[in-house]
Amino acid sequence: MRIIACFKASPDVADIIVGPGRELDFSRAQWKVGSYDLNAIEAARQLADQVGAEVIGLSVGGEELANTKLRKDVLSRGLDRLVLVQGSPDADSYQTATALAVAIGELDGYDLVILGTGSSDRYAQQVGNQLGALLGLPTLNAVNSIAVDGEKIRVERALEGAEQVIELALPAVVSVTSGINVPRIAGMRDIIAAGKKPVAEQSATMPPASAHIVSLLAPEQVARGRVVVEGDPADTAAQLATFLKSL
Amino acid sequence: MSDVWILAHDPAAGNALARSARALGDRVFAVSIGAGVLPAADLTLVIETDGAAVLAEAYAKPVADVLRSRGAKLVVVDAGAQSRLLAGQVAAYLGVSPVNAVGITPGEPLILTRMVFGGLAMATEQITSEVAVLVVGPGTLPASQEPGAGAAEIITVEPSPGVTLLETRAKGGQTVDLTAAKRVVGVGRGFASAEDLELARALAAKLGAEMACSRPIAEGVNWMPTERYLGVSGATIKPELYIAIGISGQVQHLVGVNNAKVIVAVNKDKSAPIFEHADFGVVGDLYQVLPELTKSL
Repeated sequence: MRIIACFKASPDVADIIVGPGRELDFSRAQWKVGSYDLNAIEAARQLADQVGAEVIGLSVGGEELANTKLRKDVLSRGLDRLVLVQGSPDADSYQTATALAVAIGELDGYDLVILGTGSSDRYAQQVGNQLGALLGLPTLNAVNSIAVDGEKIRVERALEGAEQVIELALPAVVSVTSGINVPRIAGMRDIIAAGKKPVAEQSATMPPASAHIVSLLAPEQVARGRVVVEGDPADTAAQLATFLKSL
Repeated sequence: MSDVWILAHDPAAGNALARSARALGDRVFAVSIGAGVLPAADLTLVIETDGAAVLAEAYAKPVADVLRSRGAKLVVVDAGAQSRLLAGQVAAYLGVSPVNAVGITPGEPLILTRMVFGGLAMATEQITSEVAVLVVGPGTLPASQEPGAGAAEIITVEPSPGVTLLETRAKGGQTVDLTAAKRVVGVGRGFASAEDLELARALAAKLGAEMACSRPIAEGVNWMPTERYLGVSGATIKPELYIAIGISGQVQHLVGVNNAKVIVAVNKDKSAPIFEHADFGVVGDLYQVLPELTKSL
């Protein structure tokens, strides 16, 4: 069995600086694998360990994918090998899904494609949904557990007010929730082993974008009182109580 | 103005979406997948679904074909998980990317705003594709009171195979609508154990507030159900009062609570970002501050 786990690298939100004109400064931001993607990689590894499968990590992106540290980081989390597709980190869902579909088509067969809830930058939560349509495969989102059952998988899906139990014929494409598992933290041995795992590189031709960006700005901050008190707990609690009673 | 299309798989949500979609076009056309005729729409193309084992999403391909043949230029769906899957698949068959729109300016070209980097910024963009597929959350568009023409046509199409619904379970436990709460107490990793949340519950009980949490409390240590976490991938609230206790205030959390009228924070770390976004902050140990606060109220 072969499982593909898709991921996307994007600038670490904690390192993006908002400038005086609300513009974004990425100059100090490290690129890292999306936190929701780690759930997809973990889900793939856990299934692979249960049924004996290979896990291929697949990503479409820009030059950040050349970063050795990023490659080692993602490989250390349970991938057996990597396929990296040169595209653009600014690609929209359809562009990304198209590039992923081409790359997946070039692999020598696969059984299951797993994606996270959404990327850390766009968070459209649509690449998996669109990828499944492009591959013409059974597709599901909001998947909260996966069990392999022969030529099928049985999954639980978390909807807003209910939970569904669904069977999908393989091969299939699923996007998992961020609650499906707790991603592992790689040990030193995993990190060393990661450096020896194979990495294949490809390039992609993408369809045109569905929109073009006019502006990218931080929202205007809501004006807040920003009164901060510290000191004796009884005293500060009393001040807070007075504030709450004044509302 | 022109025609706007909606996709619906649930009668209540479909009618609500039809009323909202009226803000974007003169006529509202619906494709209803197992949701019957929508009175709030002017025309509903009704797909009668094929038994309980077939998901509405399995009709994405024929729905895309119908939209193409009818010349749809603007398609709107709601932000539920099923609707989102339907939107993504329909958009893929139409060759476009769907957009999670938090703001929409109708016209030619259509201008949209979407959230990026966990709420840190907003991207404003012009649609350049021939068809726009928008995923629209509750409250993004005003609801029209105007009734729809309510016309209907039945269309017969086949679902895609391979996905079988075996069972639907209603969610156990109490359901909560945090978006309607006037007061909310949010708890984060400043609490050392699940039992210690009682300190916050006592405060919430005194204030008549709902309990909520940051993501790690719901997904990670699992001390509270996922319905109660606030932030970009959880609930977005707009209460009169939000009290963040032991929450550092990452941007992904703040985007869920920024619309609160008043924000109060209790955190032992003086440099926690939450204090920048609070009206009133207490730097202190929540284990000491909370009992005193609850006593003083």
